[in-house]
Amino acid sequence: MADELVRMERINKYFGHVQALNDVTLSVRKNEIVGLLGDNGAGKSTLIKILSGALRPDSGEIYMHGAKVKMRSTTDAIARGIETIYQDSALVVQLSIARNLFLGREPVKGLRLFDWLDQKKMNAAARQLLKKVGITKDIPPTTPISALSGGERQAVAIARAMHFESELIILDEPTNNLGVEETQGVLRFVRSARDSGHSCIFIAHNIYHVFQVVDRIVIMRRGKKVADDIDPKQTTIEGVERIITGM
Amino acid sequence: MPQQLGTKRIQMRLTALLQRLISAPEFGPLILLVVEILVFTVRSPAFLSTSNISNLMAFTPELGMITLGMTLLMTAGEFDLSVGSVFGFAPIMMWTFYNTHAGPLEVGFLFAMGIAALIGFINGWMVTRLRIPSFLVTLGMQFVVRGTALYITDGFPQHTWTANSGLANLIVGQFSFGALRIYASLLWFIVFAVILGYVLTHSKAGNWIQAAGGNEYAARARGVRVTRTKILLFILTAVISAYAGVTSSIRVSAANPNSGTGYELEVIAMVVIGGTALTGGRGTIIGTIIGVLILRMMRNGIVLVGVPGLAYNIFIGAIILGMMALHSGLERRHRAGT
Repeated sequence: MADELVRMERINKYFGHVQALNDVTLSVRKNEIVGLLGDNGAGKSTLIKILSGALRPDSGEIYMHGAKVKMRSTTDAIARGIETIYQDSALVVQLSIARNLFLGREPVKGLRLFDWLDQKKMNAAARQLLKKVGITKDIPPTTPISALSGGERQAVAIARAMHFESELIILDEPTNNLGVEETQGVLRFVRSARDSGHSCIFIAHNIYHVFQVVDRIVIMRRGKKVADDIDPKQTTIEGVERIITGM
Repeated sequence: MPQQLGTKRIQMRLTALLQRLISAPEFGPLILLVVEILVFTVRSPAFLSTSNISNLMAFTPELGMITLGMTLLMTAGEFDLSVGSVFGFAPIMMWTFYNTHAGPLEVGFLFAMGIAALIGFINGWMVTRLRIPSFLVTLGMQFVVRGTALYITDGFPQHTWTANSGLANLIVGQFSFGALRIYASLLWFIVFAVILGYVLTHSKAGNWIQAAGGNEYAARARGVRVTRTKILLFILTAVISAYAGVTSSIRVSAANPNSGTGYELEVIAMVVIGGTALTGGRGTIIGTIIGVLILRMMRNGIVLVGVPGLAYNIFIGAIILGMMALHSGLERRHRAGT
């Protein structure tokens, strides 16, 4: 397929004697939001950790733009444009919004010896980004993350993924522990991410949230992929629930 | 009307500035320092005399240098209990090297610094690679280093003959402003403080240091080299402690294998009083300098105002407890987002 962004092919993963993933193949196209569903222990998180470089598969391959790639670490995955946003979003709460956005890729100015952080540039970029992800409240970019709400933190994590031109944003339970208003915010960011040319994998327990934003639903059960091409517009929530539980 | 609006704006600006000042972690310690100076000055006219200030400024930079390194290390989420022993050990290495005619004093100095760097590297390597808590690693290292110093010297102080040494003058040469006697070590302390303060708050490295102590896993996931950052900070702390020890040995004309005993806890107390978080993620060089002055002036002033010297520790303990209570209260307010 020409517009295929990522393909994970025949991935197997064992934890001791337990087979967590059994020949799972998953592909994501450009500008596509894929909903990944499954009960606890179905293997969603394991699959995602392999894609984001946090775990290594026992067998199977990963392709990006049709070329085989190896994800040795999370840094590898980030360098290839795959950003993962976990439920306890991976932010340093003591640092400011701007410092978090640019963590690990800080802009510096002047002589290299001085290693001078370009805070003006960071703050300006952060201010613009916050607007882009829909934080309309006037929050200064120097605010520490610890002063933000759960939804605002997710917004910062998503803003970071969008700023660094990630091609694929993986959201692992991004709406857990969030209020109604904040959840709507996150769903809005996901839609806007697609509109600006990003692909997403969206993992959630809450099927209603998934139905609201995704283009395609993939379902896993006990380490296997059991459905791949469910169109949320033509399926009912009950139908999806039946496939998840296998009844 | 427009004039009224103007004054109102200035008022608002002032309130905003005041609020920022009050919410800064250094504000509490600063108030305490000012109160302390006022009380001591009122109770004892000798406190602000030039001779007392000269005395105060002789030893303070030596301990102060260690606190600078420790501030960065603690911001990165680790600490070092071996600083006091390195403080005693490094001058022993330098002077033994020199006194046994192994080479010139300058080479001995570099030799001592190199050994300190190695000690720091081993600390950092064991903490990051073997994942042993820094408390245990540096506690063990403290015994090894102190033990080596005692073994090499048979427990006797080393002779430090320094007449006409350019290096000794550079490190801790004496000069006077009127009646005020100043050592070069004070200038070096200021230079180190400016450099490390800049590194912590204005450099990319500083962002990495804070991130490493705040959320190590998040930092790693973003490509921050946490292991390298921490090892370098352990090396920095050991080398700056060694430098402080050498400074001290030249100033008092003796390298005692027991010197520096107990410094590690005093240093950590100074750093946390200043507002650096013991758990990492947040650190302030300015706060640390205030913390150093609070404890050193307390030790000095309490004797001048006639409190028995043995009661000194009661006051130190009370200050530490009081400041911890203040910082944890501020931290809770900070978390609540106000």
